[in-house]
Amino acid sequence: MEQSAREEILGRLRGIPKTAVDHRPDMPPLRERSLDHEEMIATFIEKLTLEEGVVCRVRDGREAVVRITEIAAEEGLQRVMISTDDVVASLDLPAWGREQGIAVLTSRDFGDRDSFRDAVFDEAEAGITGVDYAVAESGTLVIAHDTNQPRLVSLAPIMHIALVSATRIVATYEQAVEAMYADTEHIPSHVTFTTGPSMTADIQGRPFKGMHGPRRLTVILIG
Amino acid sequence: MKIRTALFNEIAEKEIRNTYARAFLKALPATIAARRKAVMDSFPDPDAAQACGQAIRAEVVARLPELLEEFEKNALARGAKVLWARDAREANEMVLAIARERNVTYVTKGKSMVTEEIGLNDALVESGIEPFETDLGEFIAQQLERPPFHIVGPAINVPVEEVCDLFMEKAGMDEPTTDPVELGYAARLFLRDKFHHVALGVTGVNMAVAETGTIINLENEGNIRFNKSSPKTQVSIMSLEKVVPTMADAMHLTRLLSRNCTGQKMSAYVSMDSGPKKPGEIDGPEKLFIIIVDNGRSEIYGDPVAREALRCIRCGGCLNICPVYAKIGGYPYGWAYSGPMGQVLTPLLLGLDRTQDLYRACTLCGSCREVCPAGVDHPSMFLYYRSKDVEKDRGLRGKKRPWKESRFFGLWSRAVTHSALWNLGVRLVRPLVNRYSEGGVITTMGGYFKGWFRTRNLPPIADKTFHERWKGLRRKTTGNQSGENRQQ
Repeated sequence: MEQSAREEILGRLRGIPKTAVDHRPDMPPLRERSLDHEEMIATFIEKLTLEEGVVCRVRDGREAVVRITEIAAEEGLQRVMISTDDVVASLDLPAWGREQGIAVLTSRDFGDRDSFRDAVFDEAEAGITGVDYAVAESGTLVIAHDTNQPRLVSLAPIMHIALVSATRIVATYEQAVEAMYADTEHIPSHVTFTTGPSMTADIQGRPFKGMHGPRRLTVILIG
Repeated sequence: MKIRTALFNEIAEKEIRNTYARAFLKALPATIAARRKAVMDSFPDPDAAQACGQAIRAEVVARLPELLEEFEKNALARGAKVLWARDAREANEMVLAIARERNVTYVTKGKSMVTEEIGLNDALVESGIEPFETDLGEFIAQQLERPPFHIVGPAINVPVEEVCDLFMEKAGMDEPTTDPVELGYAARLFLRDKFHHVALGVTGVNMAVAETGTIINLENEGNIRFNKSSPKTQVSIMSLEKVVPTMADAMHLTRLLSRNCTGQKMSAYVSMDSGPKKPGEIDGPEKLFIIIVDNGRSEIYGDPVAREALRCIRCGGCLNICPVYAKIGGYPYGWAYSGPMGQVLTPLLLGLDRTQDLYRACTLCGSCREVCPAGVDHPSMFLYYRSKDVEKDRGLRGKKRPWKESRFFGLWSRAVTHSALWNLGVRLVRPLVNRYSEGGVITTMGGYFKGWFRTRNLPPIADKTFHERWKGLRRKTTGNQSGENRQQ
């Protein structure tokens, strides 16, 4: 029988005598590890602002809705796509939309992926999502995608409004990742890190935002 | 993509006169070095952070087979399909089979060096499937049918006027413009439509985590995220050395990759897939195929020196700092991988015989080794390739030098290692060589040696050898010896 490519490749690799693995050198922990809660928040805001993300801090969910109302007015939003994760669900944005006369769509309004895809690409003027962790070291948003957190909501619309609870701030990527990947039975199918709006500098090295993903990223930090 | 590694000198001579590209290249090292330093300094100990990355990559090379098996096991457990390809043809056939099964007319692609290596775009086009590169720079390079100029900015050297003409012709742009931002938005609109309706997305892989079976990609534009979100089928292609032991290792390498690549603390987007989408999720791939490409690497693995090339994580840090790259840009390297990274990888993948000038176009200054977060010792690799080439090594496909050169250096090597021969030789050769001395310097000798003098001069051979002078000195018991010392 012909040997499979897998067996052939692995066989060849295994056939080479093993070499010793050197001890990993020590590395001092990142400075962010010694920050207290408020310092982490300050660092997160500073880093994300450097990447041209806009961060506003509010006291609670009610204030968050007020802030979203202001943004909607500033941007003239008519239709938004929202995720249905716990953070967003707690704000009852569909009710808010009815009050404001803004169409608030969720993936549950669509029977199949194609009609959802049409709406998120062509209709939604902003995507509003919750965030699982905010990482201080680089001002990074960590999102685990699942049935309540479709991938395209934070990607396809030109504006992304991200809601994150101040209790979900961590110092480093490892802390966020440890929490999400610890239970091997429930590892999320897709996890994304977002550090600022979509960007490129591929023509002449001139940087600009909004290459394929959102041109603007606004983070509402709750608490 | 056509392999043009044999034309290195020819293309380099042309590119060195490309004033437009030169202007960009001149600014690159200083700009990127300053940015890199600023972000590296955010580590409490930047050297220790680099050393840690280097240790991770050393461990990957040492434990390659077991890590690949662990990765496969966990990726399968998450529901991904893992395919193994011996070579480029097999890998391309796998993608084509997946595409044909779904009757797709086009695919969108995230930037991936390994797909350049295997020539996936050509294979797709030949089968009537249109590939769209979706990274802006790669999109431009693809439409212009040029190899990547730089791993991070594949078309960063292309003048705006040329991009404008291209987009008017091929990207449905209505009004001409030379504003990079407007050009970018035109590409956004064009590719957005492709993303909207795409059925098959193709990406590369930056890291494959053995511990969890997760594949990780870094990017700034969001095009890779679209490729992983919009289509029903995702194919991610990795060369086998992309595996890393743990998620924590991957996080540290992510830091180093961003910093060494673009001088960013973190790329705008990182996306991590553990299997396809789960039931009930409305977007993301229903099927996730991971193709592990060997393409000669398992052979390279048997060579304890050459295998160190497998440490490379394709950050491009070595290109940014290389004085040779800074003069000639990416085209002369003639294939998917340019700069020192390409000079290390390409000879192993294509053979020393087809890449003669690649590992010789180096001053061995060591700047690349100094910045490399993976711990590749480029200069030592080049010396190794040169020696293997001269020895006509079979495994690495050395070519051997022209017989006159081999003969000359054979004699030379004998002469310089035997003092009697050397002293005799000096006495015999001195009058022949010094004939060419003019004003105390030899600028050419003609004949076989002409080429040597193209970029260097030679001082005339001294009237007395050191040994002769030493004997003279010993005879003098006292007195000023400076006259003797100054003698030429």
